[in-house]
Amino acid sequence: MRFGILLLILIAVFSVVGSVIPQGRELSWYVQNYPRSHPLLLILKLNNVFESWYFVLLLALLCLNLTLCSLIRIVSVVRGGKRFVSSAAELPNIAPLAAGEREQLEQHLTSTGCRREDYGDKQVYYKHRIGRYGSFITHLAILLTVIFGAAALYLPQVHDQDCMPGEELRMADGLTIEVRDFRAKDDSGKLAFQSTLRLTLPDGRQSDWQSVRVNHPMTFGSYKIYQQTYGTAGSVTVTNLQNGGSDTFLMTDLSFLSMDNLNGVWFVALYPDYILTPEGELMPAATGDNSYPNPVYYVQTIDGEEKAMRLLLPGDTIEIGQLRFLFNDPVSYPGLRIKHTPLVVNALLIVCFVLMIAGLYIIFFLPPVLVKIDREGYAVGGPKPEGTRIELERLLQAKTKEESA
Amino acid sequence: MNILFFVVLALYFLAVILQFAGTAFRKEALAKSSWWVFVSAFALHSLFLVLRGAIAQRLPLANQFEFANGFAWGIALLLIVVRGKLRTEWLNVIAMPAALLVLSYAALQPKEITELMPALKSAWFGIHIGSAVFSYSAFILAGCVGLRFILAKKKAAPADELKLSQMDYLIYRMIGFGFLFLTIVILSGAIWAEQAWSAFWTWDPKETWALITWIIYAVYLHLRLRKKKDASFLAWYVIIAVPVVLFTFVGVNTLLPGLHSYG
Repeated sequence: MRFGILLLILIAVFSVVGSVIPQGRELSWYVQNYPRSHPLLLILKLNNVFESWYFVLLLALLCLNLTLCSLIRIVSVVRGGKRFVSSAAELPNIAPLAAGEREQLEQHLTSTGCRREDYGDKQVYYKHRIGRYGSFITHLAILLTVIFGAAALYLPQVHDQDCMPGEELRMADGLTIEVRDFRAKDDSGKLAFQSTLRLTLPDGRQSDWQSVRVNHPMTFGSYKIYQQTYGTAGSVTVTNLQNGGSDTFLMTDLSFLSMDNLNGVWFVALYPDYILTPEGELMPAATGDNSYPNPVYYVQTIDGEEKAMRLLLPGDTIEIGQLRFLFNDPVSYPGLRIKHTPLVVNALLIVCFVLMIAGLYIIFFLPPVLVKIDREGYAVGGPKPEGTRIELERLLQAKTKEESA
Repeated sequence: MNILFFVVLALYFLAVILQFAGTAFRKEALAKSSWWVFVSAFALHSLFLVLRGAIAQRLPLANQFEFANGFAWGIALLLIVVRGKLRTEWLNVIAMPAALLVLSYAALQPKEITELMPALKSAWFGIHIGSAVFSYSAFILAGCVGLRFILAKKKAAPADELKLSQMDYLIYRMIGFGFLFLTIVILSGAIWAEQAWSAFWTWDPKETWALITWIIYAVYLHLRLRKKKDASFLAWYVIIAVPVVLFTFVGVNTLLPGLHSYG
């Protein structure tokens, strides 16, 4: 146990260090922010404590310690369990009982739900036999939680992807994601961040259209899709004036819309807001949040030799060559997190969580009670007799006080 | 609403003053009236939380003001339950000011009712944060019993041994209760994190400090089991652990920004 306590203290100490020193930054950040101590900090891997070899070693030793503790504990619990009640009959008395006290104790123990077994003139009262298993269950659950927790952290493949509404996205492993729409706000104007998706697995199985929002990921096959971030894209409808055909393009990065690769529109940026100068010109402006109250397009038009930088509002159109460009209202799009994970690991981990809570509940709320009463006095046994001993002493003391009063 | 909050604060304050006066001048009537003022404050505090929850249409545990309110309410609730079961009048003089101090911290926080942000709209919200209320409250109350134990031990006669054993055992029960709920906090938080952020554990400062707190109390439970440390050492241990709990609650949010910074 001493070694286990030492391990816990060391894990706590390194956790403090890992929470105080920002983790996983660029090396230059540490050089800049810790000008004197950064060499030592980097040698000791204090920039990445939780993935350092010594922290992993501490966790591995803790697992080993828990395994040995669990084995020792279960052997003693099973051995002791067979004689749990009968062994109490052999316990030496801790205090004598005066006249009337025996009946009082027996009445109290019966009223608190204890069962009784007789061994000659000795009576053994007991309850919560399951309490002996609490510690074993808890330690086993902690051990399995560390193991499955590590698996749940390191096994999944995670990939972040921006997806434009209406587009179909094919991932490298064959998964296809279709995004029908995305809404940053619901009908009542409250923030919602909700995407409607359909997945097609590499084996061809296809999901229904499902909505994904914060706290409500979509699970299909061994994939989980999370609503992670969102962004705003410019939307431009380009119409071919010769044949009437048109298409709408969503743009976030610098891109050139053209038919002949010579004349057309360079999309440079979409600004969320603008101000009007006293001269009546538009000036792009930023907003403090992610909102786009008055979006404005910043583009370069190229029409033969004529080049111009322009600011355009949604609804504006321009014609260059045989193309008409209609600048639409911007479109919000989701940033999705795609997690490919063995779901059985998650399920096992959650089972361990439940087991741990059950184990702790048994330890603290169902402690075993084992009391022997005979003509001379009484004894308290079991793995944790303290609570029962104090309870009975209080009971007898209260009676003595009552009588002396 | 804010008026009701300040009425509650004033009543807790009055209860503490009466309790101190009753203890200092050994007037039992004052101490008794202090208790009833405290119980009244608790009843009004419960009403305040219910009303705030009804107005906000959610559990009133979404920001520092609301959580500190819940925290103080939790300390008061546990004190009332423990006193009802074990006749622990000796605890009032330390535990009542503890509830008052936590509520005073709430008084310093912004009190507006804000809409729950999407990241907090989850079924786990109540389980995770509600468990934290009970867990932190139990640890604070354990610290209060620890302090009372140290004070009582200095004056104790041999006949008081049973009372000291009771105090020591009450600390253990409080820690056990808090430890179970802190475990629920961590595990429910892990499940929630997997649903919201895709990973059960990210070593976010709040997670890390919850784990540190958990380890500190796990060490207490093991030290107690070994029986090689005397009760005074363990009482000092739970007193010294209180600042860690408070740091996990207040310090992490203000000094170590992370995924839980909205709390």
